[in-house]
Amino acid sequence: MSTDAPLLRVKDLAVRYGSAQALFDVSFDLSPNSALAVLGPNGAGKTTLARTLSGLVPSCGGSAEFAGQDLLKLTAPRVRRAGLLHLPEGRGVFPGLTVQENLRMALTADKQARNPGLERAFEIFPVLAERRRQPAGTLSGGEQQMLSLARALMVSPRLVIADEMSLGLSPKAVDIVFASLARARDNGVSVIMIEQFARRALDFADQGLILHRGRSSWSGPAQEAGEELLHRYLGGAAAA
Amino acid sequence: MLSYVLAGLALGAVYAVAAGSLVITYVASGVFNLAFAAMAFTVARFYYFLNTEQGWAIPPAAVVSLMIFAPVFGALLYAVLFRHLRLRSTLVKLMATVGLSVALPPLVQLVLGHLTNVTAPALAPRPLAVFHPFGAVLNADQLATYIGLAVVLVVGVGVLRFTEVGLRVRALVDSEALTSLSGTNPGRVSLGVWAVSGTLAGLAGILVAPTSGLSAEGMTYMMSAAFAAVIAARLRSLAVAVVVALTMGVVTDVVQKYLDPSSSFTAAVIPSVPFAFMLVFLLYYAVRGEAGDAVAGGALDRAISPQGGDPSLMRTAAVPQGRISSSSIGTLAVVVVIAVVPAGLDRYWAGLVAAGIAAAIALLSYTLVTGEGAMVWLSQITFAGVGAVVAAELVDRWSWPPLLAVFLGSVLVVPVGVLLGLLTIRLGDLYVALVTLTFGSLVQTLVLTQDPFYDFGSGQPMERPSFAQDNQVFAYLALAVFLLVGLVILNVRRSTAGLAVAAVRWSENGAKTLGISVIQTKVLLSALATYIAALGGGFLAMNFRYTLPDSFHPSLGLVWLAVLVTMGSRSIVAALIAGVVLYVMPGIFASYLPDKFADVPTILFGLGAIGLATHPEGVVAQTGANLARLFTRRPGWAGTAATTLTAPPDPAEAAPHDRSARGEVQQLPTGGQP
Repeated sequence: MSTDAPLLRVKDLAVRYGSAQALFDVSFDLSPNSALAVLGPNGAGKTTLARTLSGLVPSCGGSAEFAGQDLLKLTAPRVRRAGLLHLPEGRGVFPGLTVQENLRMALTADKQARNPGLERAFEIFPVLAERRRQPAGTLSGGEQQMLSLARALMVSPRLVIADEMSLGLSPKAVDIVFASLARARDNGVSVIMIEQFARRALDFADQGLILHRGRSSWSGPAQEAGEELLHRYLGGAAAA
Repeated sequence: MLSYVLAGLALGAVYAVAAGSLVITYVASGVFNLAFAAMAFTVARFYYFLNTEQGWAIPPAAVVSLMIFAPVFGALLYAVLFRHLRLRSTLVKLMATVGLSVALPPLVQLVLGHLTNVTAPALAPRPLAVFHPFGAVLNADQLATYIGLAVVLVVGVGVLRFTEVGLRVRALVDSEALTSLSGTNPGRVSLGVWAVSGTLAGLAGILVAPTSGLSAEGMTYMMSAAFAAVIAARLRSLAVAVVVALTMGVVTDVVQKYLDPSSSFTAAVIPSVPFAFMLVFLLYYAVRGEAGDAVAGGALDRAISPQGGDPSLMRTAAVPQGRISSSSIGTLAVVVVIAVVPAGLDRYWAGLVAAGIAAAIALLSYTLVTGEGAMVWLSQITFAGVGAVVAAELVDRWSWPPLLAVFLGSVLVVPVGVLLGLLTIRLGDLYVALVTLTFGSLVQTLVLTQDPFYDFGSGQPMERPSFAQDNQVFAYLALAVFLLVGLVILNVRRSTAGLAVAAVRWSENGAKTLGISVIQTKVLLSALATYIAALGGGFLAMNFRYTLPDSFHPSLGLVWLAVLVTMGSRSIVAALIAGVVLYVMPGIFASYLPDKFADVPTILFGLGAIGLATHPEGVVAQTGANLARLFTRRPGWAGTAATTLTAPPDPAEAAPHDRSARGEVQQLPTGGQP
């Protein structure tokens, strides 16, 4: 774990959906080139946290500073251009565009990296090269997730938020997801991983954050999150 | 024969430009632009101003109109209106664009002047050159139309398929949220789409002006015909829209070769061709279950989009037993004022108030079908017109007493509404709106404007009851009937059937799981709403003593609905205010202001509907809530804090933290997954 000044500093973040508050005073720091695993049961506010940081959902309190910029004042496109890349829950691809067009869209914020970026994506995931002219909506779930991951691996963002990337995938495809995010980390990219496989996520991350009903119920070094803690907050199945 | 085909292709090319533009803007922005005709008229009128009135040559006039004025105009409309609409309900989207289509033409006429002669040149020089390919006749206007379509298709397809801008537009069609996560500003892309839409609307308007006339009505017919191609394309496929539009144009012209040009049958058949196309495609898609609502964006867009914004889905708080709500006091006050007013007015003004109250009866049918049932029906005015005709027939031919004829004659119209309800039950909101609007146009063309019902516009005579010959008395009679119908609606709302209606309104699937029959509920609403509309039509005919078929034109129905929804689509008293405003305000302008301001009420009606984009709950509901809030601040006031607990009108308004700094996707989600 690096001791540099934090890349992302979230303090007392609050989010509201109409009359329902989804996040209460969530705080954490994320150092450069480190990984944070965000865990919690359904409805804990994990996805809300991701969407708020990436500019899709407005906050109603608190602050989030990313590389010296006030994240909460930026629009989603500006957040992306500032170097924060959000891989959303579900299949984060444009189903009507071809594989290659999806990758081109991912490069609109990094135009100078277009050709090398495409080559890198096809090198990491050769299956995408084979299907470059195929509409993304016709790919299998695993292939769509590869395409989504390629968005993060073909460019060099400063921070990737990966929201439930392994959801609904085969064990082999889940391995590819973790290997891809590990590759991103090796390239110096920080990662916020929102995951259903709590133990794997904690093994991957430096820090852990457990959310429960919109509040931070535990945070600390990932290796300190023992089985008892996971069982207490997540239940047996989620802690697997 | 070839001449007919060539002329048909020119007509089809205009339809194709219009349909293509409607499809592109719909898929890219989620807004079905009912103001396309008004935009076409605006640009074409500006071109006419430069070319004919200012004497500019065709090329500079066309370049300035289509390349500068039209895109700036389209972008301006996006900035002030369309950008607020993407995540609104179908009703609000339609009403806002209806408002624009209502307000824009008179506004343009106010600025550029009223045209007495609507014949206008297009893009070909005058005198018009005529060519004879393969012995057929082809004039330069038709050639210009072909070229216009070819340029639009080549440039449009080229840009969409092969450029970075096109890629971003197509990405936006798939998902606005993902587009913004990719670093592209969706607002800028939409701005560009609407700028192009302005140019396409202008091109269609200029090209169609020589044949349809430079008038909002001519452009509206062109747009209505293009709807058929858009529906054939299931609102999404540009290629299908263009092919069907061209086919429709050819069929429309070729059938004329085999029909007697002087017969009334021909006069009815020709304008019905696009509607026949629409009906065939609709039935085809409805049978296959493929005419549901197209949902804008992907799963992520739906998850972060706000729910609500539909005036019919606004929540109202229950009033504690034994207390009088502030809205009841407001309702009583409005009724008392409207009841007192006719007594102090002369015959003319009392007649206008009576007409307004009669119209309010018909407007209650919208309150029921749209406000309660959340069904966007645009044919209620047609039911009113048919009700007027049926009642007049019963009085004239069968010597029925007028009141009996109106009350029982309206029953005869109910099966039509039930049939339409059954036909549209499986369609999505937008399809229902287009089908009912088309149905209204067809009935207007094939029935109401045909003799013996038309009679040079005055229609059939219609007597009043003998005791209500005086305008004041008739106004009170109409008010009594209005209150009676209002009470029926209130009782329906509170009954078990009303609960079922509310359940269906909130969630059809949820209602089905409770064992509620959606079909039965919607048919019940359709029947009741049709009856009320026909009743209102009968009262309007009694008021004017003639059926006046032109006063039931579907385009006026859009104004009716615009005014009603502006006032509040679920409020009974709002219907009363809307009806009176509809007739009294133009009377005030006509009596006390110069002629040039005669169209100002129409402009205001349109602007009111446009305001729904930011205040979907309507003026009356909003004012009532504001007043209630004001009173509840006073100690001791027992009122129910905001009897109308409305959802935030602009979702972003409820986001207190820096909403202005964040883009359009940052609207407050009330229904997203937390």
